[in-house]
Amino acid sequence: MTTIKLWKFFEREKLFECYQCARCTGSCPAMDVAPAFGPRETILRCLNLGHDKVVEDPRLWLCCTCHVCEDRCPQQIPIGDLLVALRNSAARRGNIPDRLRIAVELLAKTGRSMIVHQLDEMRSHHGLDPLPPVPVDEIREILKKSGLNSLIEV
Amino acid sequence: MKEKTDPTGVRENDLKIGVYVCHCGKNIGGTVRCEEVAQYAATLPGVALSKDSLYTCSEPGQEQIKSDIREHGLNRVVVASCTPRLHEPTFRSACESAGLNPYLLEMANIREHCSWVHLHDKDAATEKAKDLVRMAVSRAAELAPQFELTVPVKRQAVVVGGGIAGIQAALDMADAGYKVYLIERSASIGGRMAQIDKTFPTMDCSICILAPKMSEVGRHPNIELLTLSEIQEVSGHIGSFRLKVLKKARYVTKECTACGDCVRECPQLVPDEFNAGLSIRHAIHIPFAQAVPSTFLIDMDRCLNNQGIVACDRCFQACSHKCIDFADRDQEIEIEAGTIVVATGVDVYDPTALTELGYGRFPNVITTLEFERLINAGGPSSGELIRPSDRVRPRKVAFLQCIGSRSKRSSRYCSNVCCMNTIKDSLLIKEHWPDTEIYVFYIDIRAFGKGFEDLFQRARREGVTFIRGIPGEILEDIRTGDLTLLGENTLLGKHYRLDVDMVILSVGIKPRANAGALQRMLNLPVDTDGFFLEAHPKLRPVDTTTGGVFLAGAAEGPKDIKDSVTQASAAASRANILMSRGEVKVPAITARIDPDKCTACGLCARVCPYHAIEGSKERGYYRVVEAACQGCGTCVPECNFGAIEQTHFTEAQIVGQIDEALQNDPHEKILCFACNWCSYAGADFAGVSRIQYPHNVRIIRTMCSGRVSPKWIERALVKGAGGVLVSGCHPSDCHYNNANQNTVRRVERFWKRMEKLGINKDRLRLAWVSAAEGAQFARVIQEMSEGLKTLTTQQIREDSDMLSKRLAKKSETS
Repeated sequence: MTTIKLWKFFEREKLFECYQCARCTGSCPAMDVAPAFGPRETILRCLNLGHDKVVEDPRLWLCCTCHVCEDRCPQQIPIGDLLVALRNSAARRGNIPDRLRIAVELLAKTGRSMIVHQLDEMRSHHGLDPLPPVPVDEIREILKKSGLNSLIEV
Repeated sequence: MKEKTDPTGVRENDLKIGVYVCHCGKNIGGTVRCEEVAQYAATLPGVALSKDSLYTCSEPGQEQIKSDIREHGLNRVVVASCTPRLHEPTFRSACESAGLNPYLLEMANIREHCSWVHLHDKDAATEKAKDLVRMAVSRAAELAPQFELTVPVKRQAVVVGGGIAGIQAALDMADAGYKVYLIERSASIGGRMAQIDKTFPTMDCSICILAPKMSEVGRHPNIELLTLSEIQEVSGHIGSFRLKVLKKARYVTKECTACGDCVRECPQLVPDEFNAGLSIRHAIHIPFAQAVPSTFLIDMDRCLNNQGIVACDRCFQACSHKCIDFADRDQEIEIEAGTIVVATGVDVYDPTALTELGYGRFPNVITTLEFERLINAGGPSSGELIRPSDRVRPRKVAFLQCIGSRSKRSSRYCSNVCCMNTIKDSLLIKEHWPDTEIYVFYIDIRAFGKGFEDLFQRARREGVTFIRGIPGEILEDIRTGDLTLLGENTLLGKHYRLDVDMVILSVGIKPRANAGALQRMLNLPVDTDGFFLEAHPKLRPVDTTTGGVFLAGAAEGPKDIKDSVTQASAAASRANILMSRGEVKVPAITARIDPDKCTACGLCARVCPYHAIEGSKERGYYRVVEAACQGCGTCVPECNFGAIEQTHFTEAQIVGQIDEALQNDPHEKILCFACNWCSYAGADFAGVSRIQYPHNVRIIRTMCSGRVSPKWIERALVKGAGGVLVSGCHPSDCHYNNANQNTVRRVERFWKRMEKLGINKDRLRLAWVSAAEGAQFARVIQEMSEGLKTLTTQQIREDSDMLSKRLAKKSETS
């Protein structure tokens, strides 16, 4: 089932357009700082090892989805779509990093993915109004509808 | 049944058709059961004998046909094999040598249009092959002998473009003794090769080997050099083209000795195009030192006198020979020629659009063409490699490959020359300044030619570092102008961050931006990349589909100097064959007007793309000038009185094919009318590429989609065809001077009629398919087949009944 879903978000045929020029990885801000495997290698792994292997890898989550790789790809491969599709598939198989899990839990509880009460102090120090309240119920509804709710067990 | 006689004097029941079904090894025989098809053909009316053979085009295969013609007195031959675009001439000459008129041959295309596109369905392919053979046999029965007209070939040639390819072609034809007009748009011949410093793989000095050839052109008694000239108009046909050429004013007379006294006086400065804008020149200038003709010129756009008033005459005063002529005007010249060689060359890719590389923003990012000028002794820096920002010699240089090539963001093809050019450039730097660090960033190094791999290996040993992986981004240090490359070394799987002094972008080459005008004037098709298309990729690589027009150099596709010269000599040799023979036979497929039926309404003359129909209402007749008629057949459906007939593509022949194609299960069939040059060739290309598509299509060939008569479409619908496809060249790509605009008009009118009668309009489709678009042809057929599934047989029958009743009524009233 996951296979079908994955290739619905990214046309598998597009993988073959890649000739490994590495312009994408050269443009990747995450690659510069983290031991990731970059867009080029992601495509190569999908082709040669199969997407199953890629989906199991925690390094998949190091991408910051800035889409610069996609902008500079000479073959106009929608790499961003591929990464989102792979992550969706990974999440369904339980490959979700803890920090992300915490962020989603926070989101469900407070409506924000970060703890912000320290921020409020800073804001008042600078004479700014406190942050406006967040419609937490609406966000919970969104989490439920998107299915993220059930994956993370909020 | 009424006994019918045809112009051969052969009565219908005297027809002796020989059918030959070719296995083509396993190409056809692997999919189509050829014996079964041959047995089936033997049962068709008029067929005297039917055979299958392994290779009909082979010597024994042809001998078989010849001996059968002699022994059995065959008067028609049908060969079911590959596309007629390949072997029709072969089998025609076989027939001719056995005494049968070559126009009594018909071919059924059961390879490109059948076995290759239905590889996995043997039953359907065999049934389709039977249909195609039956269509061919019915057409063969209607064929008549034709006699080809011989037209004279003028012993003069035109070469368009004065780069190395044009120069070589012009010299080869001039040396063979023919008058050649070499037309060059810029002020000097020489082209791209004159701009390059050294050539690969021999590292010859480019201008040193080119300049002698250029001066040979300048002094050759048989060559008339027309610089600053552009073709405005082309008319005529193979053997006698007429060209109108605009020769722009030079403002300096031939007496100029190129002393250069004038230049020192000229107050106007502009960037020098020859040096890729890296230096400046004056308004009065000579393009480069070795220019041919060695005459100065005034760039009137930049001269102070461009308003028609002499505001500055300093060059005139400085010239001791009084060669400056401000009154010089553009002239229009008319030229006649028997053959034309097109050698218009290429443009260079402009990498400004790739913003991450910073070309145009960072002064030390340059292109390979700019590098060639920098390292050339005659260039702006007198051969010193300096970087533009501070004119200091760079110690670390990077080359970036595939800029503007192999990419959907620019051109999809490999530009062919950039890898070797970079290797050559890196060796040039190493030769002059061995301590320079050189990095070449590449995807694949393509060193495929003679001596290329040696050069590549030499560069590696001389210390050039090759890194696989193109940088994603270039950063500049604003204070120093130094550059930083960010990227990944894919072989090590490691990120790199490399500081260099200068980056050279190895830019690709692309078709001339303004090639379209010439393309339309000469009716040349272009391939999907925009280069001129050759008549056959393997066997007619320098011919075009327009008779008498040949291709040379990179205008046909990216190529290096050696390949350009080779192709130029080949093109010249092909043109020389025509000119030395002095005459050429034109296919006997012209239109003829029956004076008895003609009412002199003049509609036909109005649609003729070649003005080949003369006459008037006053004179009471119209007639076709056979030498000018190109055989598109567009005039035929235009005649309301049935007075025009195209030989070899007659109404009876095509209607017979329609009827036979729709004999069984017509409601499942798609009848396709395909023009010979683009769509039929496109369907052939689908076959060659083995693109599989539904087997319910039956293709009928016409020379142009303009020949397709609304009566045929009507006939097909009356016969209950599920769908009808009219297919031709893309608008403006038509081989008959836009004759296909008539196709559009006729199909649109038919759609309106269908709408009025309540017939589903989707059953008639008009599609443009070029010779390179096999996949597009397959897609159209696929879509039409899908559409067919939404129609019921009942609906199709009702439509056909209604149409036939209306037809019957119409014929009663008339």
